[in-house]
Amino acid sequence: MSAYITSTGSFLPGPPIGNDEIEEVLGLVEGKPSRLKARILKANGIKTRHYAIDKSHRTLFSNAQMAVEAARTCLAGSPVPLRSVGLLSCATTQGDLVIPGFGSMVQAGLGIPEVELHTTHGICSSSAMAIRSAVNTLRLAEQSTALVVVSELASRLFKSSRYEAAGGHEAIDFDSEFLRWMLSDGAGAWLLESQPRGRCLRVDWIRSYSHADSFPVCMSIGHPTDAEDARTWQDFGTYAEAEAAGALLIRQDVRLLENIVKVGVDGALRLIDEGLLDMSRLDHLLCHYSSHHFRSKIFDMLEMCGARVAEEKWYTNLYTRGNTGCASILIMLDDFLREGRARPDATILCMVPESGRFNVAYIHLTVVEAS
Amino acid sequence: MTESVVLARPDVLSELGQATLRRLLRAWFDFERRLARVPIIQRLEGGTFTREDYQRLLLNLRPQVVEGSRWITRCASSFDREHADIRSVIIGHAQDEHRDYEVLESDYVACGGDLAAIRARLRNPGSEALHCFLMYRASEPNPVGLLGAMWIIEGLGAKMAKEWAARIEQLTGVAQDSTRFLRYHGSNDESHMDKLYGLLDRVCTSEAAADDILRTAAVVGRLYALQLEEIDVG
Repeated sequence: MSAYITSTGSFLPGPPIGNDEIEEVLGLVEGKPSRLKARILKANGIKTRHYAIDKSHRTLFSNAQMAVEAARTCLAGSPVPLRSVGLLSCATTQGDLVIPGFGSMVQAGLGIPEVELHTTHGICSSSAMAIRSAVNTLRLAEQSTALVVVSELASRLFKSSRYEAAGGHEAIDFDSEFLRWMLSDGAGAWLLESQPRGRCLRVDWIRSYSHADSFPVCMSIGHPTDAEDARTWQDFGTYAEAEAAGALLIRQDVRLLENIVKVGVDGALRLIDEGLLDMSRLDHLLCHYSSHHFRSKIFDMLEMCGARVAEEKWYTNLYTRGNTGCASILIMLDDFLREGRARPDATILCMVPESGRFNVAYIHLTVVEAS
Repeated sequence: MTESVVLARPDVLSELGQATLRRLLRAWFDFERRLARVPIIQRLEGGTFTREDYQRLLLNLRPQVVEGSRWITRCASSFDREHADIRSVIIGHAQDEHRDYEVLESDYVACGGDLAAIRARLRNPGSEALHCFLMYRASEPNPVGLLGAMWIIEGLGAKMAKEWAARIEQLTGVAQDSTRFLRYHGSNDESHMDKLYGLLDRVCTSEAAADDILRTAAVVGRLYALQLEEIDVG
């Protein structure tokens, strides 16, 4: 049995927000503009993104609502009726509720009866885990249709009030501000079937390599600002104390970030060695990190060892859609297909790097036509 | 007649050269992850590395550094007339680095260490194993596999210069006059890489040679990590 992506959909809340409007939405911490914003935006190259909150910090779309919207768009492009979905496989970084699992909320929102449910937990690569589960289920012929829905609502973490509650400018540093200028909101969905339908994408293989045994945590929520304090957020007496200690801020240890490039390249080289990946036959590389992260010395080495992916093969919607974490790869493939870039027999590598504690997933697709 | 022989960076590596470079890159990433699991490096990455840790690091590196030029020169002398161009490159390399240990000693003294103590320090078990392995391989005829050793050791030199030196200064408060040995290896990084590509193109002419290079890189990486692990044992 194989698995084919026969339809895709996405949902991005509200209008595109330009770089000069970000702080109008997220708010000025203690009334002062950020000193780091321009530098971080210049480095990531993002020009516009979408937020599910408004300037008054009201939530216009919950995370589950965005997921449901993306799923509906995906199903609207397919003759498969909602009730035929056998498996609903969902992922998010943070659901609206701490429990139950995100998938339950998405199922309720969609109104699919008696579906088999799967929710994965993690950051960016949780999407690949949800896709993997769907693909495996189809390959085992346990279901014939699976809907993967992945959604990210990061902006609620970035409200100025969050930073003020954690001590304001005095207490926040580069690592706790970095992701404020990086992440934004959106949802994506893929419909997978065990038979091809029209022009669709065959899932050739999925692989991932995690390196949490070798590296410290690089992106997290739960540690207080004081690095000497070993408590995590639930160890505090109240959530208010945890927030005041900075334990609810999302952080990126920027010093460790270069390792994600190394483990990303390492995984790709491993796939080449195993004969799964043939760079000379690869037509498109989709990644929510932009290609300039892969320049530097490693770039020269990749050129020398014949493993560099030519610039014109890179596809990303990062600059206009923003970095929507786990939802990125689903939204990206949706945009890619809508732009009519999928030619028959073309091969596509989706690369999903997660810097949380260094996991990188690879999904290889081939464009096929159902006979 | 002092015209130096240079194995220039090739425009394109052979297919085997490319495959070998891919394997070397993976061996390097594997080595870096192995290093990241060594206690003293975990302290460096985690931010709890102290001045005493730095002194212990230098104390444990010196015996291997002071012997370094021995295996490199031995390696040079093991290449026969058919490999005279490689021999020239390696002699030049030995000449560049044969007094590195003096820089290391002065760094140790600058950060508060005792010169007599570092000079009296014997090899730790990891250094012993590393030194013996390198001398053994260097004594074999035409030891092309040692390109794998060079790959790991040169790569580590660049990592020390680019990552460790500033991190150590930041965490321990030692000045740049105490990190000259670590920093020194970053200065010629690009020319070292070009030299390495040239050597790879020259020596990687069979699968057997490629396997030999990779095996040597794996052993050197494992023993180098052992040398650093032993800092917390001894």
